[in-house]
Amino acid sequence: MSTMGCSQFIEQLDSWMEGRREADARAHVRECSRCRLFAEDLDAIQSSAAALTVADPEPPARIWTALREQLIEEGLISEGGRAGSRNGSRIGVATPASQGLSWLDGLFAAIPRPAVASAYLILLCALALGLAGPLGFRAPQSPSFPFSTQLQNAERSAVSSVRGSQSAVSSSLSHNLAIVDNYITLCEKSVQEEPDNEVARDYLYQAYRQKVDLLAQMTERGDTIQ
Amino acid sequence: MSTQPSFHPLPQSPISSPYRTTRLRIPPRAASLLLPGLLLIGISPAWADHMEKHFKVDARPEITLHNPNGTVTVKAWTKSEVMVIATHTSDQVEVDATQTGNRVDIMTHPLSGAAALASGDSRADFEIRVPEDAELQIHDDSGAVSVNSVLGDMNVETVGAGVDLSDDAGYLTVKTIDGSFQCLRCAGRIEVSSISGNFKLVDLRSYQVRAQTSKGNILFDGEFMPNGMYEMKNYSGVIEVRFSPGDSFDLSARSLKGRVNNEAKLSPPNHPQHFYSGFGNSLFGSFNSGRAKVELSSFDGTINILKRN
Repeated sequence: MSTMGCSQFIEQLDSWMEGRREADARAHVRECSRCRLFAEDLDAIQSSAAALTVADPEPPARIWTALREQLIEEGLISEGGRAGSRNGSRIGVATPASQGLSWLDGLFAAIPRPAVASAYLILLCALALGLAGPLGFRAPQSPSFPFSTQLQNAERSAVSSVRGSQSAVSSSLSHNLAIVDNYITLCEKSVQEEPDNEVARDYLYQAYRQKVDLLAQMTERGDTIQ
Repeated sequence: MSTQPSFHPLPQSPISSPYRTTRLRIPPRAASLLLPGLLLIGISPAWADHMEKHFKVDARPEITLHNPNGTVTVKAWTKSEVMVIATHTSDQVEVDATQTGNRVDIMTHPLSGAAALASGDSRADFEIRVPEDAELQIHDDSGAVSVNSVLGDMNVETVGAGVDLSDDAGYLTVKTIDGSFQCLRCAGRIEVSSISGNFKLVDLRSYQVRAQTSKGNILFDGEFMPNGMYEMKNYSGVIEVRFSPGDSFDLSARSLKGRVNNEAKLSPPNHPQHFYSGFGNSLFGSFNSGRAKVELSSFDGTINILKRN
């Protein structure tokens, strides 16, 4: 029987993702299906992100440069540190000290390519949803949500990558992002009204996944549809 | 290992070497003479790049196509050969088709130095013939994709392009953003997802179907195979499933905020259900002996289970 609660598990996520998995945390994950799914999602994302370093071809340098500038502008990375190890194109994620994201820092520092953007978005949304579950429902847009700023910044970055394009593809992506956002709002409302409604939670989860997928597509296609 | 493609000019084609890219330019003087006539019949004077290539392949070849915009038509034939015919009207893009071992890669890309392209400038249309056991990977953001009589696995991804499959089999995965999906007389396993695309699944003989669209409608009018699994899900829109008196399936249908209309006489479920209970409008039960499994789910859309006419 674990003495650890969901919020305590989240607090020690840093250690968990770095492989230091205390007995109490492991016990909690065994007993709490939400935290277990959350941890499994993060493990899967970490594995997928690591695989990206060898599986995909190197993208044009200008994409990386643009992404890096965007992330610096958003305050998500610093100009110093790891920056510059690949023709000035490798970034380091500035770890928000208050969030204790050192494992996140390590994860993205290990990916010397713009695909980091997609992985980053996926991770942020996974965090958004994962935290929304165990800690009681709180909308990611809420100022108290610990990753809300990063999530919004990541979304802004993805949207800006296709902004200005008049192509049918970018219009379609933006239009469908609005559709998914609307469903997220509806599902959040439904979950708030009936916190025990597993069906609504499932739909909310699916909507977030769609949003992540769309943002990743916007980021990846931004270069080709402008 | 790269191998050279073999060339087989089509008898009816004016192009003697399929490997040669031919630009059909209209001289200015001729254009000035032709222009009034062309305007009269609604055809704009233009040039087109036409490319045709043939590749000898072994069993189960892989064909990949990346095309930002245009129509893609793939049909199976009995030859152990892949034929690619590409046409585009912009001089800002080019089409590459290369063979590596038993794989043929086809790609439309902007010419180096070309400025950002308007969507019309990136358009290329393809006619492709493949052996029937070919495996396909197709990315076509806008336009239309049609695949006919291919029995190998395929993956199709689009943004706005509609996807039209007929008489295909294998493991078929299709993903669109708002492109529609139609599958006629398909078999094997089908997974399709979209955000606002509509799905029509007609005369299927698939043992596994998973269809999810957020805003679109889903129509399933096919056979429920014994031990088959059929999952259809959306947020809004209509899910319509048609059945015959001889069908046999376990049914779970739920709309959290919408309606469920059912014409099937269901008996208590023969098998345990794992659907969440207590929320929304739902029904569970077995039709005949419940040999297939049908799960229909909507957030605030309507679910119709109707007798087939």
